[in-house]
Amino acid sequence: MSAAAQSADLDEQLQLLLERCAAADANALERLYGLASPFLFACLMRILRRRALAEEALQDVFVSIWQRAGQFHSSRGRPMAWMMSIARYRAIDLLRHERSAPVLVPELPERAESSDDSRDEGAPWMPAGGLLERCLALLTDHQRNCLELAFVGGNSHEDISRLTGNPLGTVKSWIRRGLRSLRQCLES
Amino acid sequence: MTPQDHPQIVDSLAAEYVLGTLRGLARRRFEKWRATTPMVQERCRFWEENLMQLAKGVRPIRPPPRVWQGIRARLNLTAREPRLRPARVLAIAASVLLVAGLSAVLYWRSFGPGKLVEVATISTPTGSHVWEVDVYRGRLIVHAGQLPPHPTDRDFELWALPAGGKPVSLGVLPTTGTAKRSLTAVQQQALANAAQVAVTVEPLGGSPTGQPTSTPVFVAPLRAS
Repeated sequence: MSAAAQSADLDEQLQLLLERCAAADANALERLYGLASPFLFACLMRILRRRALAEEALQDVFVSIWQRAGQFHSSRGRPMAWMMSIARYRAIDLLRHERSAPVLVPELPERAESSDDSRDEGAPWMPAGGLLERCLALLTDHQRNCLELAFVGGNSHEDISRLTGNPLGTVKSWIRRGLRSLRQCLES
Repeated sequence: MTPQDHPQIVDSLAAEYVLGTLRGLARRRFEKWRATTPMVQERCRFWEENLMQLAKGVRPIRPPPRVWQGIRARLNLTAREPRLRPARVLAIAASVLLVAGLSAVLYWRSFGPGKLVEVATISTPTGSHVWEVDVYRGRLIVHAGQLPPHPTDRDFELWALPAGGKPVSLGVLPTTGTAKRSLTAVQQQALANAAQVAVTVEPLGGSPTGQPTSTPVFVAPLRAS
């Protein structure tokens, strides 16, 4: 099966499971958890960097998904983007309270632990060669790096300035210009 | 200011909100705005859909079982399926022996008009899920869970039992992973008219005759709840 077909297929499954969650079907939540939790947990670990905190956040995320499943509409977007946003926003919220304590040794696994489905090619819900991928290729390395540090690592402007050794104003400007270029490319 | 007057500002704020670089008071204000303003919601969705690709390299990490247990406890999901009534199981002793203790409970429910979703869950009495069967947009999707020990030189086959008609095969059930297939018009018709579904144990590849060749492992009423 092609990556795009596999991704569309998974979208359909996730969408069906969300519909069933909205109808209070607990089995559907368990299956949804089986499919989506490894990726969402990895995203949370990247942002929160501490396993205990990421586990707590993952619980919050699935409680939210269960309670808000009826608000998901496939016509407005993909199920994984919706769930991932719930996870990322929860993690950023938690950072507000937790980042004051610096993490000296990030508890990130050296190697990825495999998921059930042994999907080694990364996330199957992201079709290869998508429009964003083409648009990202148009950014400068600095712009792209800053966007990744922010989106994947949950880093603030200040964090990125410190991590990359570039002045705060420069970082803000790279991010602003990077986003502007993306928008132009995506909507052209 | 209304968002319609300043689409570029709305878009820039939405992008930085989704990216995660909008922080502190500005983030909280933006969230309130988003909660009540469809245009702001639309721009957020645009960025959520597109920036997701940035996480492409994130490798999945399986969370420990205690996380799921915690979710279940918080949502009070103590029983596996408290909202569904189990259908009566008519397991036949000889067949149960054949599959080494697989005794199944079938739940079937429909989610009403417009959803086109019907679901059967086949579990052991201890609640371990064996198969889950979805009928969705004319397709049958079967997920295998944890099967009890069973003979490896046999297949399980699912049947629709139309009232007053012959059993119609819905295909062989997978023992691992997910199987999907489009239902033929005959199968859809049989399901629509079926009062019961059954699972039989058949030679590998399914019944060679097109009809069950063994006594069902179980039979259960359709749309029991």
